[in-house]
Amino acid sequence: MTTTLETDVVVVGGGVTGVAVLRDLALRGVHAILVERFDLGTGTSGRWHGLLHSGARYAVRDQESARECIEENTTLRRIAPHTIEDIGGLFVLLPPDDEAYAAQFVEGCRASGIPTEELSTAAAHRREPLLAPDVRLAFAVPDGGIDSWALLRSMAADVEARGCQVLVRHPIVGVERTGDRITAVRVHDAVAGQDRTIGCQWVVNAAGAWAGDVGRMAGVPLTMIAGKGVMVVMASRYVRGVVNACRKPADGDIIVPQHEVAILGTTSEQVSSADDISVPPADVDRMIDMCAQMVPAIASGRVLRAFAGSRPLYKPEAPAGGAAGGDTREVSRTFTVLDHASRDGLDNMFSIVGGKLTTCRQMAEAVVDRLAERMGVTEPCRTATEVLPGADHGHHQVAAPLARVERDQAYGELICECELVTRGQVREAVASGLTELEDLRRKVRLGYGPCQAAFCAWRAAGMLAEGSEEGDPVAGLERFLEERWRGQQSTIWGDQARQALLNHAIYRGIFDLRGDGVPDEAAAVSPEEGA
Amino acid sequence: MRADVVVVGAGPAGLATATRLAEAGRQVLLLARGNGFTHWGAGSVDVLGRVGGEPVERPLEALDRLPEGHPYHLIGQAAVRDGLDWFSRFTAAAGLAHRGDLERNRGQVTALGTLRPTCLVQEPAAGELSGRVAVVNFAGFRDFSSALCAQRLRRAGIDATPASAPLPAWDHDRYFTGVELARAIDDAGFRRRLAPGLARAAAGADVAVVPAVLGVGRGHEPWADLQSLVGTPLVEAAIAPPSIPGLRLFAAYRARLEQLGVRWQFGFPAVGVERDGDRVTAVRSEGASRVLATRCQELVLATGGVAGNGIEANRDGTLTERVAGLPVDGFGDRLGFLGTRFLGDQPLAAAGVRVDGELRPMDASGAPLLANVRCVGGLLAGHDPTVEGSREGVALATAARVAALLTATPAR
Repeated sequence: MTTTLETDVVVVGGGVTGVAVLRDLALRGVHAILVERFDLGTGTSGRWHGLLHSGARYAVRDQESARECIEENTTLRRIAPHTIEDIGGLFVLLPPDDEAYAAQFVEGCRASGIPTEELSTAAAHRREPLLAPDVRLAFAVPDGGIDSWALLRSMAADVEARGCQVLVRHPIVGVERTGDRITAVRVHDAVAGQDRTIGCQWVVNAAGAWAGDVGRMAGVPLTMIAGKGVMVVMASRYVRGVVNACRKPADGDIIVPQHEVAILGTTSEQVSSADDISVPPADVDRMIDMCAQMVPAIASGRVLRAFAGSRPLYKPEAPAGGAAGGDTREVSRTFTVLDHASRDGLDNMFSIVGGKLTTCRQMAEAVVDRLAERMGVTEPCRTATEVLPGADHGHHQVAAPLARVERDQAYGELICECELVTRGQVREAVASGLTELEDLRRKVRLGYGPCQAAFCAWRAAGMLAEGSEEGDPVAGLERFLEERWRGQQSTIWGDQARQALLNHAIYRGIFDLRGDGVPDEAAAVSPEEGA
Repeated sequence: MRADVVVVGAGPAGLATATRLAEAGRQVLLLARGNGFTHWGAGSVDVLGRVGGEPVERPLEALDRLPEGHPYHLIGQAAVRDGLDWFSRFTAAAGLAHRGDLERNRGQVTALGTLRPTCLVQEPAAGELSGRVAVVNFAGFRDFSSALCAQRLRRAGIDATPASAPLPAWDHDRYFTGVELARAIDDAGFRRRLAPGLARAAAGADVAVVPAVLGVGRGHEPWADLQSLVGTPLVEAAIAPPSIPGLRLFAAYRARLEQLGVRWQFGFPAVGVERDGDRVTAVRSEGASRVLATRCQELVLATGGVAGNGIEANRDGTLTERVAGLPVDGFGDRLGFLGTRFLGDQPLAAAGVRVDGELRPMDASGAPLLANVRCVGGLLAGHDPTVEGSREGVALATAARVAALLTATPAR
């Protein structure tokens, strides 16, 4: 059975870029529908380190990207402060690093409009007490932390309030063309199990690292380079703000504190498929060893997990199916709008490729400006000034969940002690219709902490059981546990190995769960995020 | 300091070994970093719950189906019987009678409504779930869901219905753990105020399943008293750690060890040994401000496997025994530690020290490494206590073997 929808613009891809495009269209009064194959932020937007770039990382080599970053850093702080931890960042020069690079760095930041301040080593250590004692130079920059899921939720709530539609779990299965025009996009509603046809005037391909797949369906050649980055999640923050190595970008040169954890990043390796998100143990070891040069305590710290994401890199002259294995840092991190009318003779599709989370709003503005011109829409872009719902709370404070628990005196109400998730939050989420523990995790951060859901998963499963007589909550619990387990092997040793075996002793030993109902490939189709 | 025997570790194996040696007149020092699987288990005695993933009905018969090198094969059935007989006598005398025997496993109800195969359970967990079963939680207790438990029990064909019993006014109405609730239930007055609400929740049922929180400091008396006040048989369901039945058992051991004059250093990990040839002469342990050496004739390591912290799993895939540096077979790299499925088998859980028939650590050629060191419980190679459901059985049986070995000849 097929149902039909009609809209002006179909946006493909539920990462930050696609949702930002949808919001830009909504604010210009254009009706649009976004389709996403999984859930919002399950691609690259959910698999990164959470750095709100100041642009300083690009100041030496890629000043166009650097300028984009500092502009958007300022804009996002205005429109979405509630998704941002205003923690600042440092660039530190260590003994083996080249002092000449520091001079280039300062000059590059100045030229790109990024404010920097050189700190004495004493001041740097006051600000970051765990910093290596042998730091030679330190520069403060306006880096920050940003929670992409909070940003996505906030943007999606805004567009839905403005009459546009977000269809998650709707993978695109085909494109209908008449001559040089796309007339409709066919999607599969994975929940209802039926196909839907969305008739449209325009298509924006915002599928990021998977933009090439969408191009292929539409019959236009589009070669993306999949640049895999491995990140390691530590069980505590270690640093107050972002810490970067002041050297040419390389593996393991950044530590981003986020919520209760710190994320170490990252590698940069060209792989043959954006779906390659494997985590070799050697990469984990290298992240830890390199970041421990900046913050030595990390060497003996507790690792929660590791994950990889795929940067959506675009290089116009890239050979088709580019060779795997190279370093992708030489590819610019700026973005490109492709008008497939002039490029490929396909009249009504644009692609927005490249870029990074920090510049997602600007990317959306650029592509929608071009689209609006072709559509004859004269409304200007308003996304840089219209603040998002929730922005009146100010910047996100890391201690906010604790403050909330203190205010509500909700100690006994905690379902997840690691992330301070209360019974009230879970109850509210269940009442809103959530039935899977995995969705609860993304929504309220249940199960993210050091115990990796040992003590919250069965409590939350109990609350789901109380909410409904339908289904088998124990089977749902087993599914959740198996999904959480994926990809952990490369980070389990020391204390985390004991934790893993304790968790195993609880669920397999005490509760005698066997996971019989969970097929081996259950988790393989459902993407899973890092932090 | 000195002792005849130093026992390192206060889990199911160390506690039984120390108690048995002291009962036999040996002068024992018990050194422990912290609590062990008394607190983290289901509060029962698992001897052999599953072989090859399939539930075991008759544990003694199933011992033969275990792979070569399993601790049960090294010490034999007699030690298993001895271990459980002693344990049954000891716990009965301590007011913690157990039900069950080695001939047949039973199903222990859990908070998730599963029926885990085990051998002995404490009396409050022993009632049969027949007829109409009320699954009752105490209002506000977050570690038990009567809805979840009852749903799963119904799938097993049990006529289970969820219910909730109000708690009388007490000090903890906003914040309480299972341990705090169990301490309150130790009090007879609290039980009298609790009983009417529990009786209403269980009205019409033939038996009531409740979370295992019915008292922690007074043996099984609070359970028996509450059951008679309510007028319905009460069955405790195993909950996640800390296990309150396990805390009862720990308290019984502690009282018995004190009675026997066993010295006890709790919270101070053993960090090394001093050796003279193939004998250990002293154990080094962390004190409040320095490392202490305790001289000993014999050393028993009951430090557990990786889960119990007797073995450290290193980043490079090797494993390190933490007290005496005994050899432990490692893995090629750390990817070998764990399986691809969480609820499947975990190779790391079965890692341990290989020993001879007298539980002495062996080198690669099979020769004993240290003449006066014995290993018991989870530290031993060749078994996975969680997957097999053999934790307490191996602990008690190896404790029995060590007790026999170290008391066969008069001390000194």
